[in-house]
Amino acid sequence: MAHDGPHIVPKSILLKVFGALIVLTGLTVGVAYVPLGPLTVPVALGIAGLKATLVVLFFMHLKYDNPVNALTFTIGTIFVVVFVTITLLDTAFRGDLGNVTAQTVQEIQAEQERAQQRQDAIPSDSLRIAPSDYPNQDRGASMESDEGS
Amino acid sequence: MATETAPAPTEREEAEHDHHPEHLQHHFVSSKQQFDSAKLGMWVFLITEVLLFSGMFVAYAVFRQWNPDVFAAASGTLDQAMGAANTVVLLTSSLTVALAIHAIKQDRVQRCIYYLLGTLGLAGGFMVVKYFEYMAKFEHGVFPGAAFDPHGAHYEHLAEMTAAPQFFSIYFVMTGIHGVHVIIGMIVIGVLALMAWRGSFSSEWYTPVELTGLYWHLVDIVWIFLFPLLYLI
Repeated sequence: MAHDGPHIVPKSILLKVFGALIVLTGLTVGVAYVPLGPLTVPVALGIAGLKATLVVLFFMHLKYDNPVNALTFTIGTIFVVVFVTITLLDTAFRGDLGNVTAQTVQEIQAEQERAQQRQDAIPSDSLRIAPSDYPNQDRGASMESDEGS
Repeated sequence: MATETAPAPTEREEAEHDHHPEHLQHHFVSSKQQFDSAKLGMWVFLITEVLLFSGMFVAYAVFRQWNPDVFAAASGTLDQAMGAANTVVLLTSSLTVALAIHAIKQDRVQRCIYYLLGTLGLAGGFMVVKYFEYMAKFEHGVFPGAAFDPHGAHYEHLAEMTAAPQFFSIYFVMTGIHGVHVIIGMIVIGVLALMAWRGSFSSEWYTPVELTGLYWHLVDIVWIFLFPLLYLI
């Protein structure tokens, strides 16, 4: 198209887009002072996404361009979303996937506590059977000789 | 030659073949094809840039999700007024670069040079603001990585937050790499202004201006996301 004269985005559109970008910048600063709770990040990202879309469509000419450029950019953007989502699916839910039994974590902990209490209730000397139950002796079952030394 | 194997070259293409514009390389059929190829190549490059930055955005997302309170508190110590001013400066520079392309498409070379120099000035302004922001942080021991040692009234509370160094490492790396892109853009835009002054560009051939414009807008878009994520929320 170069010799036909290239496609020119009218100056008025460029100025309007610029005006919209400034207004949206003011808006994103403004909503930062409003307590939005869990919506804070989505709202900020939404406004930034809108601004980026305006820049891409008009300043970067994608609205009027060969569609293959838009396709390239869209595919790249999809990969960014995949990158963020899949990573957060791991990092945001770490520790929750280890428990695959029907019991809840609290039930397992309560059971372990009860087992510990039963263990504590038994006098520690009453159940010595194996040599390993005598932690201070490292030479097996020769108790008499050890006591003598 | 490519034009001879093409089934039915349009009149326009034949006319161009006779015309033999100086900028048209032999492996392209027409100026339009050459221009479109260059542009597609630039978009592919821009996607690699997007993915470069997205790695850092993912780091930000992961650590913010793990430490939302610390990130909110640490982000509060950044200077919102300077960040907002820099946003406006970069948006304006995006407009001036779009206007430079607008001008060269109409063969208004002088105007194009002014707009390019305007963009250069705004980019310089952005870096100056960034310099003062960095210095204000360094003065209070807010460094990236292991050197993190915040002190002073505005920053003391950061010392007790275990994740605060991570916020500032992410902040410095992201804004730092963005700043490197701004500096590279300034060099390229300066070269473009010089080339335009020497009469290299016209409405027939202005591909470097167009491609640099795309790059510059992408740098702007990265900042559009950095500003709210780092400074505001």
